[in-house]
Amino acid sequence: MKVGYPQALLYYKYFPLWERFLGGLGAEVVLSGATTKNTVSMGTIAAESELCLPVKVFYGHLLELKDKVDTIFVPRFVSVEKKSYTCPKFLGLPDMIRSINDELPPLITPKIDLDKGWREYFRTIHELGSNFSSSKRKIFSAYRAGVLALRDYHNQLQAGSTPIEFLEKKKYRKVKKTGLKIGLAGHPYNIYDTYTSMNLIKRLREMGAEVETAEMLDDNIIKREAARLPKKLFWTYEKEVVGTVFHWAHTHSVDGIIYVLSFACGPDSLIQVILEHELRSDTALPMMSLVVDEHSGEAGLITRVEAFVDMLQRKKMAQLC
Amino acid sequence: MGDHIKEDAFLGIDVGSVSTNLAVINVKGEVLAYIYRRTQGQPIKAVQQGLKELESELPGDISILGVGTTGSARYLSGVVVGADIVKNEITAHAVAAGHVAPEVRTVLEIGGQDSKIILLKDGIVVDFAMNSVCAAGTGSFLDHQSARLGIPIEEFGDYALKADEGAQIAGRCSVFAESDMIHKQQVGYGLEEIIYGLCQALVRNYLNNLAKGKDLLGPLVFQGGVAANSGMKRAFEAALNTEVIIPKYYNVMGAIGAALLAHESMMFEERKTNFKGFAAADFNYKTSSFSCGCCENNCEIIKIKVDDKVLARWGGRCGKWELDQANRRRDTSGVSSSV
Repeated sequence: MKVGYPQALLYYKYFPLWERFLGGLGAEVVLSGATTKNTVSMGTIAAESELCLPVKVFYGHLLELKDKVDTIFVPRFVSVEKKSYTCPKFLGLPDMIRSINDELPPLITPKIDLDKGWREYFRTIHELGSNFSSSKRKIFSAYRAGVLALRDYHNQLQAGSTPIEFLEKKKYRKVKKTGLKIGLAGHPYNIYDTYTSMNLIKRLREMGAEVETAEMLDDNIIKREAARLPKKLFWTYEKEVVGTVFHWAHTHSVDGIIYVLSFACGPDSLIQVILEHELRSDTALPMMSLVVDEHSGEAGLITRVEAFVDMLQRKKMAQLC
Repeated sequence: MGDHIKEDAFLGIDVGSVSTNLAVINVKGEVLAYIYRRTQGQPIKAVQQGLKELESELPGDISILGVGTTGSARYLSGVVVGADIVKNEITAHAVAAGHVAPEVRTVLEIGGQDSKIILLKDGIVVDFAMNSVCAAGTGSFLDHQSARLGIPIEEFGDYALKADEGAQIAGRCSVFAESDMIHKQQVGYGLEEIIYGLCQALVRNYLNNLAKGKDLLGPLVFQGGVAANSGMKRAFEAALNTEVIIPKYYNVMGAIGAALLAHESMMFEERKTNFKGFAAADFNYKTSSFSCGCCENNCEIIKIKVDDKVLARWGGRCGKWELDQANRRRDTSGVSSSV
């Protein structure tokens, strides 16, 4: 069976797990490929206008897959840890998709809800695997292989590789280092989608800056830093962004922070204020927010990024003199 | 002429959406000559005309040792004149402001279609912000209103200064601001109050959009084409309750910054300038565009030629069309596999 996998949203977080799991059960996992202008325009036409760019991009990937596969894998992520949820759009993703006018192949939509505990989760995994195999043993051995693949992926990221390099097997050109290190914060589907981010990581590296992202940091550090908030955040992935930025703000382990957020993202709009508040003081690390949506022009982004890198570089030079 | 010692100088060119500015500075950073003119949608022509005017204004014998370009047409103008350094307008404005007044802490800059705020400390930029897609509150909007009211933009400031108080005008969006202004006219407000009210609305918009969450410390400098409008200066001073300085060369600060950056870069790296000379004003430049079509992104590629020689190409996402980067990327076969 050909199972379509949209290369968008949580793809950047969990793809190795599901690929190995479904592949181990005999499914042929078909990726939709990197986001292109065409993906975005298809998604924008199909989606309601109020949706955020990443979800519109996801719609585009669904439409690119629809005639190539027997089924499309669209898990419903409710929670990935106790007492925390994912963005409401992930909760409702399989339902929202039904508003697409084009006919889609049948969807596989397991409900991932870890707040309900592991027993419930493994029941979901078993149910999902039953679509492909009747052997419980085979299902769980494929799942274990998936978990190992995910662990390997995480280890690669912690070693400084980005999902773009690991998942898409793309290499960055070696560039002259200037000793500048920039923390890139934001949702993986914004910063690693080369179309949405307008190749931001590549651009920064070509300007001679080293790029650090949340994926390269130790989970425990991020959790500890996020816990400094007086009130716990509801959303797991936003907590990761906050914890990462707080870590940089606290340790000054980067020279500056670029925070990429999408225009219509509700959670982002709230944490942006939290982050700006944290970094407000005179001695704080400089942070620049870059807002992306389907209308964003490349020229404006380049101007800002160049100016930000210039600013950090000139500051460094002045400190040396 | 032969035994005359030529003065070393640097040229900066800032081509924006509305104005094209050129400035020549000497090694001490003093302005020798400058030109401010409208771009009128033809950046290449504007640069060439500007070069001509500048040449006739320049005193005695000078030799240009370096050229910098900035502004939204910085790449295009860089190719036209042969720039040694191409920099974004935020850095250029910041460098110029820090040079003219090293003690400056805040730069308020409003140009034709963009506005920015730059915070400095000891002459070094520590934070900045630039308006996003919306051009409400920039020079173009003021231009449009001056045309609608039939008052030359140069006289806008005088009207605003005559008003005792400004009319309340919504400045969040230029479409709403315009309907608000029409309403105020219909109910009988004087032109002076409306124009000053408009300045206040633009300042409010600027401060809400760009200065959000930032501490604006003095000395404050207000530059960019809109600084010519004394009504805007008055509105800024009223809103911030402090004095706002308008530098002498407020409308060509970007060009001065580009010239300073050219000076700096030529000092660090010993090389000869790429400047094509003032003769570049007479070259026959042609631009054209085409869709690449090699992948689904269908990038639009811009090509600039002089006579029949292609000088530069840009606009692609993958970089395969760019000529000036040929030494950086040797493989030009197909779409690059690198990200």
